[in-house]
Order: sequence, then C-alpha cells, then structure tokens
Amino acid sequence: MKYFLATTAALGLIAGAGHAQDRTLTISVYAFGQDAMAEAVFNPFEEVCGCEVVIETGNSVERMAKIEANAANPVIDMAVMSTQDALSLARQDLLQPLDVAQISSHADLYEAAKDPLGNGMAVGYSYYATSIVYRSDLVTVDSWADLLSDDLAGRVALPNITGTQGPLTLMMLSNALGHEGADYAQTIDAIGESGDDIVTFYNRSSELAQLMLQEEVIAAPVGRFAWSRFSGADLPFAWAEPTEGQTGGMNVMVMTKGNGNEELAYQFMDYWLSVEVQTRIAEAKLDSPANTDVVVSDEIAKSLTYGAELINSLTMLDPAAIIDNREAWVERWNENVVN
Amino acid sequence: MFQNNREGLALALPAAVFTALLFLLPVGILLSEAFKVDGSWSLQGYIDFASKPLNQTVFLRTLKLGALVSVVSAIIGYACAFCIVNLDGRHRGRVFGLVVLPLMISPVARTYAWIVILGRTGIVNDTIISLGLSKTPIRILFTETAVFIGLLQLFLPLMIISLVSAMENLPKDVIPAARVLGANWIQVFTKVILPLTKDGLVIGGTLVFTGSLTAYITPAILGGSKVLMLETLLYQRVNVANDFVSAGVIATVLIVMSFGANILLKRIAAARN
Amino acid sequence: MNTRLASRLIIGTTLLFLIGPFVIIILAGLSAGDFMTFPPNGISLKWYLKVFTVESFRESFALSMFLAIFGTITALILGIPAAYAISRYDIPYAETIKTIVAAPIIVPGIIVGLALLRYLVVPLNFTVTLALFMAHTALVLPYAVRVVSSSLGNLRSDMEEAAVLLGCSRIGAFMRVILPNIQSGVLAAFILGFVTSFNQVPVSLFLSGPGVRTLPIDMLSYMEITYDPSVAALSALLAFLSVAIVFVAEKFLGFSRYV
Repeated sequence: MKYFLATTAALGLIAGAGHAQDRTLTISVYAFGQDAMAEAVFNPFEEVCGCEVVIETGNSVERMAKIEANAANPVIDMAVMSTQDALSLARQDLLQPLDVAQISSHADLYEAAKDPLGNGMAVGYSYYATSIVYRSDLVTVDSWADLLSDDLAGRVALPNITGTQGPLTLMMLSNALGHEGADYAQTIDAIGESGDDIVTFYNRSSELAQLMLQEEVIAAPVGRFAWSRFSGADLPFAWAEPTEGQTGGMNVMVMTKGNGNEELAYQFMDYWLSVEVQTRIAEAKLDSPANTDVVVSDEIAKSLTYGAELINSLTMLDPAAIIDNREAWVERWNENVVN
Repeated sequence: MFQNNREGLALALPAAVFTALLFLLPVGILLSEAFKVDGSWSLQGYIDFASKPLNQTVFLRTLKLGALVSVVSAIIGYACAFCIVNLDGRHRGRVFGLVVLPLMISPVARTYAWIVILGRTGIVNDTIISLGLSKTPIRILFTETAVFIGLLQLFLPLMIISLVSAMENLPKDVIPAARVLGANWIQVFTKVILPLTKDGLVIGGTLVFTGSLTAYITPAILGGSKVLMLETLLYQRVNVANDFVSAGVIATVLIVMSFGANILLKRIAAARN
Repeated sequence: MNTRLASRLIIGTTLLFLIGPFVIIILAGLSAGDFMTFPPNGISLKWYLKVFTVESFRESFALSMFLAIFGTITALILGIPAAYAISRYDIPYAETIKTIVAAPIIVPGIIVGLALLRYLVVPLNFTVTLALFMAHTALVLPYAVRVVSSSLGNLRSDMEEAAVLLGCSRIGAFMRVILPNIQSGVLAAFILGFVTSFNQVPVSLFLSGPGVRTLPIDMLSYMEITYDPSVAALSALLAFLSVAIVFVAEKFLGFSRYV
C-alpha cells in the first residue's frame, strides 16, 4: 500500500511539475487533426527549441473565450484561430502587435495574410475553402440551397451559429435563396422552419466528421481542412462545387499580451510559417499554406485550398462584419432555430 | 468524556471550514452574479434570462425530462424492487450487485455506448428494420428520446436501490394478508406497498430528479446543440460568450429546483398519511 | 410459476437495459476494423493495446489517480475527526455543520468547476490542479463523513471510555481502540471516495487547462475527434478498474454494510 501511494504521489508530482522544468510554450490550437499536426509541427519544434510545447485544443470561439476569461493572467502564449475571433480579441486589447522582423518568412506570405487585422495584430497561416461534403452514392449537391431541400431532409447537419463555419453557411445560403440584408434574418428564419429536418448543429468539425462516418448525416457544410478525413474513408464522399461558389476563410496566428514568453512564441511562429514546415503540413493534407513559396504536387493540391486563383475565387465574409453582427445572429438563431 | 463540546467542535471545524471557504464561498459568489447588474442588486438578470424563448424552452424541457425519467424509473423501479425482494438470498445479492454495477462506471462510457446502440447504423435500428417495423432507419440520436433513454439508464439503479431498501423493511406477511382479505394487485400496491415505502420513493425520486437536472454528458452527447438542457445551455453560454450572469441564473434555478423537488416529494409523502 | 417467470422477465429486461450497453462497449472495443461497429466485424485486441500508447491518456490517468488518491486521503483526514465529533459529542451547530459538509453533493458539478475557476484560479492565481484537488476533496468529504459516521455508530463508546479509565490518553484511546475498529469503514469510505473522484466529470469540465485534464475529460475530447474503437476500449478498461476495486472491497470487507 505504501509503495503504491508513493508511486502515485511521484506520478502526480511528475505530471504536474514536469511541465515546469523545461522551457514551456503554451499554445492554443484547433482540435482537428492534432495528432497529425503534432507530428508535422509541434513535436519537431520541441526538438528544435529544446522546450516543451503544451497544447490547448478546441474550436476557435471556445478558445477565444478562454483567452478572454484568463485576461488578467494569460495562460496561453500564442494561439491560432479564425480571423474574426482574433479580431474580437484585438478589439479587447488582449493581443500584442507582432514584430514581423522576427518572422523570417513574412515577406513570402500572401498579401492578404501579412496583416489581416491591421496594426500587425495577426498573421495568416492557412487558407481554407468551405463547401458542402456529401455522399456521392446517395445524393447530388449543386447548390447551397440544397441544404434545405427535401432530398437532404432528416439527413443533413449544419454548423452551429456560434462556430466559424456558421456565419459562412448563412451567407452562402442567403445568396442561394436570394435573401437580402446583412442580418440574414430571412435565412435564419428559413433554417428555423426546416428545423426538424436538420439532424443537429455541430460545434466542431471533428464532431461532424464523426456524424458523417457514422452515417447519421449524408451532407453538411465543412471546411476543406477536414477533407482528408472524408477522402480517405470507406464511404464515398464528394466535395460540392455549388453554382453560388465556395466560401472560406483564413486562419491567423496571434500572440497574447504580456505572456512573458514572447521569444519562444516568435520562434514557434517563425517555424510554423517557414517554407519547410508549411510544405510538410500541406503534404500531410492538413492545412493549406499561406506561404506562397510552398510548392506541392497536383495530386496533393487537389486536397487543399491551394493556389492564388482558388483563394481569390472564394466568397469570404469580412471579419469585422461577423463580429458586429454575431450577437444579433445568435439572438435570432436562439429564438427561431434552436427553440 | 464527551462532555467537552468545544473539543468536539474543534474536531469538526476543519472539515466544515474547508468546505465552506473553498467550495461554498465561490459557488455563493457565482450565484450572486445572477442577482447583480452593474454592481447593484437587481433581479434584472433573471428577468432578461426568463424572457428569452430559448431559455424558457430549455427550462421546460429540463423539467419535463426530469419528471418523466423520475416517473418511469419509479414504475420500473417498483416492479424490479418487488421481484428482487422476493428472490432468495444468494440470487438477491447477485442481482443487486448487478444493479449497482453501472453506478461504478464512468458516465462517459455509459453514454458512449448509446451512440453505438441508437445510431442509424446501430443495433436498435438494425432490429427495427429486420423486424420490418420501418423501411428506413429512424432518427433517434439528437432527440429528446435519446436523452431520455440515456438519463433513464443512468439513474434507474438509484431508484431501484432506494426502493429495495424500503421494501426490505416491509413486514413479510403484510402483502399475503392483504391478498387474503381480497385485495387485488392494484389495491395491494396503492394501499399497502406505496404508503409503507414512500420514504424510499421520496429518496429515490429526489436522487433521480436531481440527477437528471444536473446531468451534463448525457444531454451533451445524445442531445447535441439542438436538444439543449439547462446544464448544456450553461456550458455553452460560458464557453462561447463568457456569460456569467446566465451561468449564475441557471445555477440558482437548478439548485432551487433540486430543493423544491425534494420538499415537494416529502410533502406528497406526508400527505398520504 | 407464472409469477416466477414474470419476475425473471422483469429483472432480466431491466438488467439488460442497465448492463447491456456496458457489454456492448467491451465488445465494440474488440472491433478489428478502424471504425466502431457493433457487432464487431473481426476481433482484435489492437484498440485495447492502443489505449496505453496514447500519451494524453497516460498523463490524464496520472492526474486522475493523483486526485482520487490524495483527494480521498485529505477528505478522510478532515472527515474522520468530523465524523467522530458528530457521533460522539453534542456539538453546537451540529446540523449546520452537517449541512455544510454535505452541500457539495447538491450543487451541480458544472457550477462548482466554474465558480472555482472564476474566483480562485483566475483572480487568486491558484493552479488549476490545486483547484481540482480542492474540489475533489470537498466532493468526497460528505461520503467520508457519512460512511465513517455509520461505522462509528456501530461502535460502542464504552470501550473508549474504558481505555481512558484504564490510563490511556485520549489520543491513545482513539488510535488504539477506535481506529482499528472502524478500519473497514475507513477503507470503504476510501474506495467509495476514490471511485467518485475518478469518475467525476462536470467539475473538471471547466477546471481543465492546457496539459491539465482528468481522464474522463480527456476521453470526452478524444471522442469528439476520433471515432475509433480505442475510446470504447478505454471505457471498458476503466469500467473494469472501477468494478474490480469495488468487487475486491466487497469480498474482503463486505463494505455494502456501511453505504
């Protein structure tokens, strides 16, 4: 009994204290594909810096809220999230401007990725397209309006309004249904009316991947970063090319204010944005690169959102518009859709 | 030897102080957030919360499911308890052990199993289709039904345990006596068993109802964002919007509902006297 | 004989409902495919083995064990004196103290986690682990007090008085007379507390941070990301662990007497 206690005490202390011994970098990243990301980025970086990388995962908006909650005492050193969530943090003065001199590949990034929020508050590291993934053996999807059609009734999932993909889906649906107004009121109401036909509103892309693989749903809007999960699956999935076009966004890197670990954080950002690492990530079909010097084979390019032409064709939603309207959307959504 | 009450108090105080300071105090402060607006006391937080249709729906749904699970588990519980009590010693021990078993297993595991069972490609649907009851799989996951089933499985053992405990103390000849005097089974139940076991029913009912109100994992996984209950709503409000006023309101509502249920059940039990 | 059959049916179906899912989890964890199905197509132990290789599971397991063991021990250190005081003395405010100590069970766990995060961790700079430790201790304390009280209740107080009369000090009397006799009660309380702490989820939901996660929370996150059978395997293994602990306790202590 004594040995048992001693061992577990030791274990507990190690688990808790081990982190404090090496230099530690605490990062907040997406949950999706974290194993592969660990292999491609986090673990190799640990070797390069001789430090330990501690990871917090979740979807973008949850992690943003956590950074807000911990504002007095930042736990996170650097984070990656959607452009709009980063903008929200910037507006609350929770971020520090980035010194681009410390990021060697900065000049090689796409123009729009260099300073997406203004004032150097963030740097883009990956683009993604968003469209509808569907079971090609069961249905065909050519338009965003198909999401609310009878064909998909009872077999479709939509992103929750609070997530990143939610507003993008709203925008495309609005376009497809010919609705007007940045408040998307008509579109939200339309979704509300089809409420029963929608299986669920997913919060994380990983949830959605599960639902599709479990065959609970046969179609849903999702970001291209999740595509590898579907393309490699046993069931036949297809990526829609709707008449209204695809939407998408850019994910950005930010640094929290006053975290005290800036040196390591910059080293990490520099690492992640380098051609070498961005290429590695791209070849693992994880994230599409924002570094224009990255070259990949055509085959791999097909799984990514690769190339200036494709990126420019995406109908993106202005992050400021998202932040300004989000609360109103959520209000109306709560009243008419989830009710 | 035990006259020195101050000594006794000193022994008991550490535990009480620990819990009060490090546990009840933070919780109390959180609950008070619901009563404050801009630093001054006000019920506005509650009024705002209660006026939103979503919150009303979630509240009623939580209440409804809690009540439903309690009632159904009481029915099944009585049936089971009655059978268990009439088993002989060895069997009774084993069956009782099996009933208690699920309580030792993490709710994560228990809920996860339901995904496999209730999914479109799961056992239930497979059975339904092969029995010809439906041509296509029916949607069970992400509905109130799924949450109901998950909650029922989670808390039924508590009800059974309470009822077995209560029924064990019934005098052995009470039921046969009633039967001999001409009572049918329904009368035996309502006039004999129920009144004599009502304490067990109150305990079991409170445990099940409170448990259902405050369950998180089961509604989160089986209900998702469409079937929100008070706890999953709380989680969402805090996680996405840092909305601590809502959190305080929901917390207070939950605690009040738990107490209320317990008091209500006790009153009903007492009234039957 | 009709009633015998009916009785068996009722119990049988109920047990099926209660235990069935557990059995399914065990079997689903044996699926040979990459994907959770039941019935499993092919049997393989690979998922049960994989569980041990996932690094985050190891870390969160260690944390959960640490919390369960030391939280329960602390709860006993606080709780045994309290139980002794309540059952032997006639202390003032006895009811209040009893209510305070029992309160943690009533408060929804998710609120506890949130409150501790907001008012202890963030403003007072407590580490998340410390907050978790305190929460788990407070959650186990009511069980500790109740079980030990129950055990003390069965013990006559005159033995202790006799020891003191015969020259033993109070503390000596406690150590030599009381403790050995409530041993099984204490052990029962320990096991009950351990299992309660280990399986605790709602409190830990908010009280988790980068690198600090209890095992159930880790499993939840894992489940959201991967649908492979390793989660089923892990669930099954944990269930076995809990059950084994309780089974052993029952065998050697008959501890259901104290619960």
